[in-house]
Order: sequence, then C-alpha cells, then structure tokens
Amino acid sequence: MAKILIVDDAEFLRMRISKMLIGDGYEVIEAENGALAVEAYKTQKPDVVLMDITMPEMDGLTALKEIRAIDPKARVVMLTALGQESVVLEAIKSGARDFVVKPFERERVLSAITKLLA
Amino acid sequence: MSNVKFMNPFVEAASEVLKAEVQAEVRRGTLSLQKASLTTDDVTVLISLVGEVQGVVLYGFSVETCLAIVSRITEQEFKEFDNLAQSGIAELGNVITGRATIKLSESGYRSNISPPTLIHGRGIQISTLDFSRIVVPLVTEFGDIVVHLALRESPPGAGDHNFVPISIP
Repeated sequence: MAKILIVDDAEFLRMRISKMLIGDGYEVIEAENGALAVEAYKTQKPDVVLMDITMPEMDGLTALKEIRAIDPKARVVMLTALGQESVVLEAIKSGARDFVVKPFERERVLSAITKLLA
Repeated sequence: MSNVKFMNPFVEAASEVLKAEVQAEVRRGTLSLQKASLTTDDVTVLISLVGEVQGVVLYGFSVETCLAIVSRITEQEFKEFDNLAQSGIAELGNVITGRATIKLSESGYRSNISPPTLIHGRGIQISTLDFSRIVVPLVTEFGDIVVHLALRESPPGAGDHNFVPISIP
C-alpha cells in the first residue's frame, strides 16, 4: 500500500485529496505546512508527496528542497494555484518530479502518483 | 490596459473554475462602478495582487451559496459554515484568482497573489478609499457571487507594493 503525504494549508483541499486517494486504496498522511511536512517525511517516509507552494511557516519550495536534502530520491509533486512558469520552473529545478495546477482533475492527480510509483 | 480590461480574466477564470468544480454555468450580471464602501454579504474572500497589476479582489457570497458550493464539491451535505466549509470557499477564491493571474500574465501583466482572507459577517463596511471598484455579479444556480475588483496597472518602479488601500472601520 503506497503512502502519500498531502501538504496544504487549506484543510478543505487536504480533505478532498485524502478522500480521493483513500477511495483509490492509498494510505494518506497530512501536513498543513512545509515545516510539518519535513518532519512527517523524516518519521513516516511516504512514497509520494503532494506539496502546495504557498503556505505559512514554511512554503512548499523550501520544504521541497529540505526533503530532497534528506532524501535525494524523494518523489514530490507540486500543487499550485498560480500555475505560473517561474514558480513551476523553480520547483522542477529544485527536484519536483511533476506539478498539478488547481483546480485539479481527479485523473490528473492519480496519474501523477501512478507514474511516480511505476 | 485599463481597469475594466482586467475584469475579463476574472470572469473567465470564475466560469472555468466553477464549471470544473461544481459543473455550474456562470452568467455575468450587470456591471457597476462603485466608489462608496462595500457592505459585505455573509461571506467575503479578500485576495491581494502585487506585481505588474496591483490591488485587491473581493468575492462576496451568502452562506447558503457557500454551503451549496462546498456540498457539491465534496458530494456531502454541509449544514453549517464551519472551518472546513470556510477553507473550501477561501480555496475557491484562491483558485479563481490564481487562474485569473495566469490569464493576466498571458496578456503581459505578471502578478502574484496573497493567501486568501475570509471575512465572515454581514454588514461590515470595507472601503478601498478613493479607489473605485468594478463590481461584477456572477449568477449561478447556487446563488450570486459578487466580485469586486480594485485593480490597476502598476506605476513603473512600484515593485511588489500594493498601492490600493483597504479600510475596515
């Protein structure tokens, strides 16, 4: 059973993605900011991380870099409401493996995870 | 680009997001230009823009409209406008504004947005002081969403400062 870490400060969005992934048989853990995501990554070793970009405490790009420093093979998919090239480009340069623009389609999120787990 | 021309990206973005999230068609109501303070409906989501377009965008909803929207998105009935429902409506404003900034960027106006602020309470006065707002009601099957745009092209050298003042007495 693959374990997915969902990182987003919006409780509603975490709930939506959790519901979707649990329905598809994934184990889900959640974090509401980048700092908590880094801690969760260390202790729970998720298979894939879905990471929002704009968050309080620690933003998604910083958390991505910290997670990749802990585990250079970390599989992180960025979730962004902005969808702007510069943000996405920086995330990819920093080691993000994919990105999904909100509002996301269920199939797009699931295919991003499936591809990384293959 | 004049203030009015910044409106279409927001109307298009709202239509696209609502269609994707709740399968709703959106019809634009009658536009108006307002300078007086806005009096809030039950729920207002406020988001700032900085960059080559600066200002604030406010989305006004009734509680009934909010509950109908989050219930449709989650396919579970929300009876109270609790933290989870508030998070959903704030996120909706966030996604609409994010998508609008992509459209603005495609027209040559790059900008970034703030995290959303949600104001829960009818009858609160919010003023953009002497800066006029374009007010666009979006009519949906869930009720109206009233979009207030106080935006303009940034003056040279403005950087990431938001020049449109907000006052909540």
